[in-house]
Amino acid sequence: MERELILAAHKVCKAFGPTRALIDVDVEVRKGEIRGLIGENGSGKSTFCSIVAGALEKDSGELELHGQKYEPKSMVDAQNHGVAMIVQEAATFPRLDVASNIFAGRLEQYTKGGFLDWKSIYDEADRILADIGVPEIKGRMNIEQLNFEDRKIVEIARAMVCKPEILIIDETTTALATKGRKLIYALIERMQQENKAVLFISHDLDELMERCNTITVLRDGLIIDTLDRENMSIEKMRSLMIGRELQGDYYRPDFDGSHGEEVLLKAEHVTLRPYFKNVDVTLHRGEILGFGGLSNCGMHELGRLLFGLEKTLTGSVTLYKDGKEISISSPDTAVDNGMAYVSKDRDKESIVLQASIKNNIVMPAMRQLTGALGFVSPKKEKTLSDTQIKVMSIKCRNGNQLVKELSGGNKQKVVFSKWLGTDSDVFILDCPTRGIDVGVKADMYKLIMELKRQGKGIIMISEELLELIGMSDRMLIFKDGKLAKEFQRSADLKENDIIEYII
Amino acid sequence: MAALSRTSAENLQIQAQLDRQAARKQAIGRVVPYLGLVFLFVFFTIVTGGLFISPKNLSNMVEQCFTMCIIATGAAFVYAQGNMDFSIGSACGVAQMCGAILLLHKGWPMPLAMLVTILIPVVTCCVVSTIAVVFHVPVFIGSMCVRSLLAGLLTIGVAKQEIVVPVSNWPIMTNGVFKAIVQVAVIAIGVYLFHFTRIGKWAKAIGGNRNTAKQAGIKIVQQQFLAYVLLGLCVGIAGVFQLFRNSTVSMGSGSGIEFNIMLAVVLGGFPMSGGDKATLPAAVIGAITATLLTNGLSMWGLEPSLVNGVKGLIFVIMIGLSYDRSAGKLVT
Repeated sequence: MERELILAAHKVCKAFGPTRALIDVDVEVRKGEIRGLIGENGSGKSTFCSIVAGALEKDSGELELHGQKYEPKSMVDAQNHGVAMIVQEAATFPRLDVASNIFAGRLEQYTKGGFLDWKSIYDEADRILADIGVPEIKGRMNIEQLNFEDRKIVEIARAMVCKPEILIIDETTTALATKGRKLIYALIERMQQENKAVLFISHDLDELMERCNTITVLRDGLIIDTLDRENMSIEKMRSLMIGRELQGDYYRPDFDGSHGEEVLLKAEHVTLRPYFKNVDVTLHRGEILGFGGLSNCGMHELGRLLFGLEKTLTGSVTLYKDGKEISISSPDTAVDNGMAYVSKDRDKESIVLQASIKNNIVMPAMRQLTGALGFVSPKKEKTLSDTQIKVMSIKCRNGNQLVKELSGGNKQKVVFSKWLGTDSDVFILDCPTRGIDVGVKADMYKLIMELKRQGKGIIMISEELLELIGMSDRMLIFKDGKLAKEFQRSADLKENDIIEYII
Repeated sequence: MAALSRTSAENLQIQAQLDRQAARKQAIGRVVPYLGLVFLFVFFTIVTGGLFISPKNLSNMVEQCFTMCIIATGAAFVYAQGNMDFSIGSACGVAQMCGAILLLHKGWPMPLAMLVTILIPVVTCCVVSTIAVVFHVPVFIGSMCVRSLLAGLLTIGVAKQEIVVPVSNWPIMTNGVFKAIVQVAVIAIGVYLFHFTRIGKWAKAIGGNRNTAKQAGIKIVQQQFLAYVLLGLCVGIAGVFQLFRNSTVSMGSGSGIEFNIMLAVVLGGFPMSGGDKATLPAAVIGAITATLLTNGLSMWGLEPSLVNGVKGLIFVIMIGLSYDRSAGKLVT
């Protein structure tokens, strides 16, 4: 027996400038359904959810909620219709207290004689927080006291205030550790029991397999297929997402952890308060050195320090190049001497969104491109950019297209391209595959292996242990700003062996 | 694969249409500043009954354009980085005052005195940049402080009486051909530096995203100083010729330049926040448009105070239409 329809989308279209984000999308969601939405970045899943949640307006097509025409004017309007969304990015208001964050936009419900009735606001906030399973967070707390994960939980509480009929979870779990994930899973289960519906976006296919009863695959703005429980499999989802079979191994196939003897980069007794203290790192030619740990263990900041973006309090960072020893204390010395850095915050740090692909790619290569009288030949620039676009198979109209129009994976390819264009020797990659989809991920892993083969030194910083185990020759595991354990590449190394050193 | 409700040919057609729309939008954005220029020219010619294109006024405008175009060339580098400077008008006035004093009262040779006139804005621009770097405040604030300081100096210097320069002693400085050569040379060097060397490319990168620029190995502080030095040079050069054209230095010398340049930048379609879309010709076109506007409004019979009001209004409207607000959106 088919359950009652709760949400129906008919021929929904949306375009951003010349990019068609959604093309005639038809979706039907029924009561009690946990609908997974998958697709590579730029496939339209977030766009679709944003339209349903009132954050974006559709260009054409129809939405129906409970059989009624549904055209949310804003996210608050959508919430009043029973549709709430938890977004991927941090969306709490800084410096306010937790209760104000939870009731943002609806505080006036709690007025008494023209004044806000703070007591009932705090009581109600505490009740909601306890209800979703976090009684330790209180409405009176300042949001600044909470860590990233707890702030995300406050956002979840905000979404649950209006008792939504449809809850949209947009890649929220990626940002959460065990506690937050469990909380979300419990909420999903409860929604199902109460015969409500969930739209669940995630890159973690295992998670989706486990939680969803239907999965819809999108690609380039089109619905490709909808799978029910019997037809779900990881392989099927992957190939539907990228539109081809993944060939060969995902990570590197070998377990040969050998590398050159020559030292490329050495950090001795480096300290950066409050992140880490007295850390040593040595990177060799042809080595993939993994940094692993929790997001606040100091490894990201260590990566920045090795590239000269942070100054060390003690010790030094030395780059060995052509028999010379170069002290690295600023990013310009690092770049001048053949170091490359990929930040974990791509859009804010690694690329200029409003600039063309070409101008992004040529940016660090200026020194090589400059001729007599400081002349930079536009022809050389174009050649470099076109070569990189081809080598990395960046999906774009041409090099003059703005980077902001590209999908996440293609943006990351631009970031890699700009460093490949400089002929760097040492690559510091901070979360190089964060937020990019399986197809591009596989390309990135191949590229990293290719760099190793060319004798480059690579530091790969990642919060995903499987990726580190899959790629590194050697792994440094950090905990609370200290080196906790070192692992060599081995076929026997499993995730669980490492986890105990992380937590 | 699920059946598509539209054929792929139809989809291709829609895509082609969207591409055309985007291309058209881009093309319009590029043409608007030129159309604005032509429109203003025709408009003022009509409303002033031809007075606007009388030979006397045309030659007047050419002189006014000279100052604006030269300063706009230097300002392009600063604005491309997402910075600005409010002190250049006062700096231009003080530079003229010092040059005139050295020339008349200290008996310095003309070229040497004018060299000082050129260097004074270079120094004040560096001070603006230094304040921003040392105290980690926006350059805007530094430039406001320097502006007050310089305006004070100018007031003290010319309080008793205006300084009058006997222009006829140095005919070369008012020679049209010489000025044309200077004008063309400054703009040509500007275009070269802006579009064919890393100075301009890095300036746009810094305006686009400081973090990215820094991580690409660009020395941001150094490039910022360089841009301010270029601006200072251009202000100085403009100041020299303004001195010989007006033959006097008064409290009004150089006033309003900073605002006119900001207006020029916006009118030329040069993004106020800097970045990749910045071009040097845009700044120059804007300078010409701003001059036309100032001149045209007063030829039309508007009072000077009203002229400023109208320019302010146009500035706000242009900013509202062109400023890129997309960065602040929650969901993009």
